[in-house]
Amino acid sequence: MTTTATPIQNDISNPGILLRPKWAEVTEITPEADGIATYWLRFINSSDQQEFHFNPGQFNMLYLPGFGEAAISISSDPQDHEKLGHTIRFVGNVTRAVSRLKVGDVVGLRGPFGSCWPMSELEGKDVFIACGGIGLPPLRPAIYKIMRNREKYGKVTLLYGARTSSDLMFPREYEVWRKAQIDVEVTVDRGDANWSGRVGVVPMWFYHFRIDPRKTAVLTCGPEIMIRFVIFEAMARRVPVESIYVSLERNMKCGQGSCGHCQMGPYFICREGPVFRFDELQSFFNVEEF
Amino acid sequence: MENRDVLKNELEKIPWFQALKPEHLEKMTDMAHLRRVKAGELLFREGDREDFVYIVLKGRIALDIFIPHRGKVRIYTVEPLDVFGWSSVTPVSHQRTAGASAVVDSLIIGIDSEKLRDECEKDHDFGYVVMLRLLKIVSSRLLVSRLQLLDMFESPEA
Repeated sequence: MTTTATPIQNDISNPGILLRPKWAEVTEITPEADGIATYWLRFINSSDQQEFHFNPGQFNMLYLPGFGEAAISISSDPQDHEKLGHTIRFVGNVTRAVSRLKVGDVVGLRGPFGSCWPMSELEGKDVFIACGGIGLPPLRPAIYKIMRNREKYGKVTLLYGARTSSDLMFPREYEVWRKAQIDVEVTVDRGDANWSGRVGVVPMWFYHFRIDPRKTAVLTCGPEIMIRFVIFEAMARRVPVESIYVSLERNMKCGQGSCGHCQMGPYFICREGPVFRFDELQSFFNVEEF
Repeated sequence: MENRDVLKNELEKIPWFQALKPEHLEKMTDMAHLRRVKAGELLFREGDREDFVYIVLKGRIALDIFIPHRGKVRIYTVEPLDVFGWSSVTPVSHQRTAGASAVVDSLIIGIDSEKLRDECEKDHDFGYVVMLRLLKIVSSRLLVSRLQLLDMFESPEA
């Protein structure tokens, strides 16, 4: 079995540590779109706060007593040790319970889990980020990392799509990102008279960009159907499969590859993923029953 | 004459036309015109008679469909080097299936659909290049429509 692009070795010799949640207080709630909000957390125990480090693309298991756990990508700046952000869509039992939380409420956290975006390997390359909907939050830490080390990366493009303009995540930050020489291009599936931006799906806009396949890495996250066509467009532009990275979402339950709920082919998404280099997935990605 | 040279020069820059032989490019220039449109200007309405196929050189054009009780829904925006109004070349309903208006000040090329169709019929070498290009556009739009129809951002449990 090949290894993931940037595996993070959690210490599974003592699974009790990974299974025990640490408690964190909700310090702020930022509504992002209809049914989506970012929850800013701070660990109750200050040593937990200091010890917690994550890499862009990793996730935490968020625990609400009486409701259970949900795997949530970390959407905040990995260098900001004061605030830990999770952008959550309220769709399941746990996340609907999260939607009822208020500032000051306490949740359990386990993590960080999973592989991360290969930020060191991307240095010196052009980075093309193509994502949609709730696929932007797992990529925001990578954007922050690039911004903090902008000189280490070549041309950086963010192509982001959402269902409608009111579903766009983090619109207040686009100008900040643009000022950091990130080309932010936004599209929506359905427009209205008030929307003067692009209308159309993410993959179709690839034609608009000049991508040098020899030095461009493509990072993608979002609905799997969108990822499929993003990969198709990237490969049509001769971007090698070794330069395409995807973050996948599956039914993650334990976060450490023990329960098997998130298995995809030979991988447990929670352990070997969620970020994969595409050549690792290519043989069974988009194959029925995988 | 000067306008014709400007038009031909613009046509030559479009990847669409780079596969055309010089004499075919001349034919295309004869049936085309440049048009400037101001932000908000309506190019055609849904249901209008189809007469031109357009290529955007600068700006952004929006395609809208009117849905009763919902109003106009913007289904697509056309950017530089993309084509719209292509169904006028292969007419099914002989009416525009969407309305088009400029989102920002734009420069477009309009090509007379009927003349283009006739020329494709008379000269199959020319017709093959044009139809191949159109097929690529239709294929791309079909994919876009499919993905929009799938509503890929719909919440899985909604």
